[in-house]
Amino acid sequence: MSIKYKILKAIDVAGLNFLRPVILLCYGEEPEEQIRKIGLFIAVPIMAFCLFLYLWGLFAPMHKTKSGEVPTPSVVWDSAKGVWAFHVREKNKANAYNLEGDSRDKLLEQAQTRLSELEPMVARVNEQLAEADGAMQSSLASKIEPIKAELDSSKNAMREAQKARQADLQARAKAIAADDTAAKEKLLEDYRAHLAQIETERESLRSYEEQIDEIHNADFPQRAEAIRAQSAIAEERQYLVKLIDTLENNRQQKLSDIETRLEGFESSYYEASGADLLKHAKSITRTESLMVNAADSEYAKPMTLPDQVLRSVACVFAGFLVASLIAIPVGIVCGLSPIMMSALTPFIALFKPVSPIVWLPIFFIIVGGFIPDPDKHWLIAGLAELPLIGWMKINPAFIASALTVAMCSLWPTLVNTALGVASIDKDHINVARVLRLGFWSRLIKIVIPSSLPLTFAGLRISLGVGWMVLIAAELLSSSEGLGKFVWDMFNNGSSQTFAQMFVVVFVVGIIGLLLDRIMIVFQRLVSFDESPTSI
Amino acid sequence: MHEDKYVEIFNLVKAYPNPYGDDIKVVDGFELNIKKGEIIGLLGHSGCGKSTVLTMLAGLNEISDGGIIVDSREISGPGPDRSVVFQSPCLLPWLTAYGNVMLGVERVFKHATKAQRKVIVEYSLSVVGLADSMHKYSRELSGGMQQRVGIARAIALKPKVLLLDEPFGRLDSLTRMDLQDVILGILDREKITTMLVTHDVDESIYMCDRICMMTNGPHAKVGKLIDVDFQRPRVRSEMIEHPKYYDYREQILSFLDECELEKEKIAKQKAKVA
Repeated sequence: MSIKYKILKAIDVAGLNFLRPVILLCYGEEPEEQIRKIGLFIAVPIMAFCLFLYLWGLFAPMHKTKSGEVPTPSVVWDSAKGVWAFHVREKNKANAYNLEGDSRDKLLEQAQTRLSELEPMVARVNEQLAEADGAMQSSLASKIEPIKAELDSSKNAMREAQKARQADLQARAKAIAADDTAAKEKLLEDYRAHLAQIETERESLRSYEEQIDEIHNADFPQRAEAIRAQSAIAEERQYLVKLIDTLENNRQQKLSDIETRLEGFESSYYEASGADLLKHAKSITRTESLMVNAADSEYAKPMTLPDQVLRSVACVFAGFLVASLIAIPVGIVCGLSPIMMSALTPFIALFKPVSPIVWLPIFFIIVGGFIPDPDKHWLIAGLAELPLIGWMKINPAFIASALTVAMCSLWPTLVNTALGVASIDKDHINVARVLRLGFWSRLIKIVIPSSLPLTFAGLRISLGVGWMVLIAAELLSSSEGLGKFVWDMFNNGSSQTFAQMFVVVFVVGIIGLLLDRIMIVFQRLVSFDESPTSI
Repeated sequence: MHEDKYVEIFNLVKAYPNPYGDDIKVVDGFELNIKKGEIIGLLGHSGCGKSTVLTMLAGLNEISDGGIIVDSREISGPGPDRSVVFQSPCLLPWLTAYGNVMLGVERVFKHATKAQRKVIVEYSLSVVGLADSMHKYSRELSGGMQQRVGIARAIALKPKVLLLDEPFGRLDSLTRMDLQDVILGILDREKITTMLVTHDVDESIYMCDRICMMTNGPHAKVGKLIDVDFQRPRVRSEMIEHPKYYDYREQILSFLDECELEKEKIAKQKAKVA
């Protein structure tokens, strides 16, 4: 088998069939046909996506919200970069806390050099900002002045006209005789006209004011640019200051400080005598316990988006695992036994449509009942000691979210497995009968293998459902993860966090896509009839 | 006496419930003795109940009345002592040819060592001519090759009775002739008592020692038995030239025609009554 067919097979198994024409084109097979397919399966989707980005960029700024304009693609991209930069910086700081010796000195030196480089830049961006401010003020003034002048003059003119009309009306009122009804009616009418006139004049004045407001509110790109530059530099500067601070007070430094202090106490203890001895002994023991605390201390790193993504993925897999462990055996039993199927049908029908939003609080309370004091519970403590997942700080909220995922995602697997088991080929059953296979070997050799493709199709749907459920569950339970990230950003309510919520949309989508792809590969591996799986 | 009545089928009845009257007896009073090592053909028009008799002998179909004795023991339910080759190969698609055969071998030769089982499986697959395709999955095999695996699976169990239920029905005629020779080769060597259900006259003459023709159903039973008096091993080209061959052929066809006429007569009578 040549490399070409190996590549094609790998693409096929991975469900990446849209790459097939590219490979075939590389080997020069029917170039026209391949180019047509590339156009259809690669170029068209890319163009559609570009069109989407264009329309998004076009329409988003038209809508103003409390958190500013709806972010455009470029704003979202910048904010994604910001999220990543924040993650890298936090990681560096956490790292800095653990550094010792030469590597620490080196990093410290680097950070200080960079900080000294930044200082003139800070001054410069501040200057630029001030300049932009000035420019904006003068430009505003130049635009607003004429309008204001016009406004003032028309205001004065109107006031004069009003006064004149008023005086005229008063003069006429005095002249009207007591029984001249027609004249009275005329006066009343004119008075109404006078009031309406005042109202329209006010209206026209208001339109000038609106113009002025608009000019005030209009974007001033130069100034926005200056603010962005300034805040970027300020952020980096703040990060460096923090980094240096962490390096100067990291664990090793604390430990050596305490050690010198301890040595001092010890020498004074052995020099002292009498009543002072106990006082010094107290100092020594207190310092010793301080030392133990310092040795165990960690940098209090906040959860950044990549951490939350990992924690969410871990949570969905935990829930998915629980769901599979329940759904597959129960599904097999249901498929084998019509009695069990009949007994469980009402439960499936009743619980399947229940929303995760209902399950979560219930599980939250139930889990809370098992783990009343998370800090002291053996399960939480044990999970925190585990090597790969210890940093995730698994807590009752995590467990409740995972159980909610399990509860909502077990149904497709259960139903599909039951269907797969119940619809085994009759010929295969006959084979088992002729061979007089016992219950277990019939189960393991005939029933389970023949139901695997449908079971995996169910697992694929389950994982998709679980991923959707999880985001909602995390949002509600404040379990650190993508859902909580969105909730925090929502509560923050600035235009920057608004853009970060859009970043999450893409992160969630891409991870969901990857999970689905993984399941497709598994599904392909267990399906014996080689029928292509839908995408 | 045992040798002559290795398989004894007496007064065999298969009745299906009929919601509008008496049970419909598809097979009624079928009686047949099969000698040890004999190849007996079951011939008849389609739908006459040939396969019903075979599946009852296999134990896959419940017996309504009468009984079947195999090697002095009445059968109850299916078992590996009566292995079946179905019309469709019925291979488990998630196993290779080797795995399909091994599934039964593991079950039947429980006390054999792994190496012994391997020898049995490899031997039976090579007998049917699949020595080179042992580790292929059924989707990678042609229809004829799949049926070869089915045959290998059946003979690997060293059954007392081999039941062939139109095993060549879905194959093209060239493949069919190949497989007929494969099975005859095996049976000449192993002397397994065999029942072959078929509706192909030439096939039954070529392969069987005795041909049992069934009357048309319902109430199908044994209509006529013909001994096919050719030496084994048989050579197709010689048989076809032999005058006796055409004699047998004539006898079978005239019986089948009679059955057909009978059926038409009954149908006409029924129409008159109605």
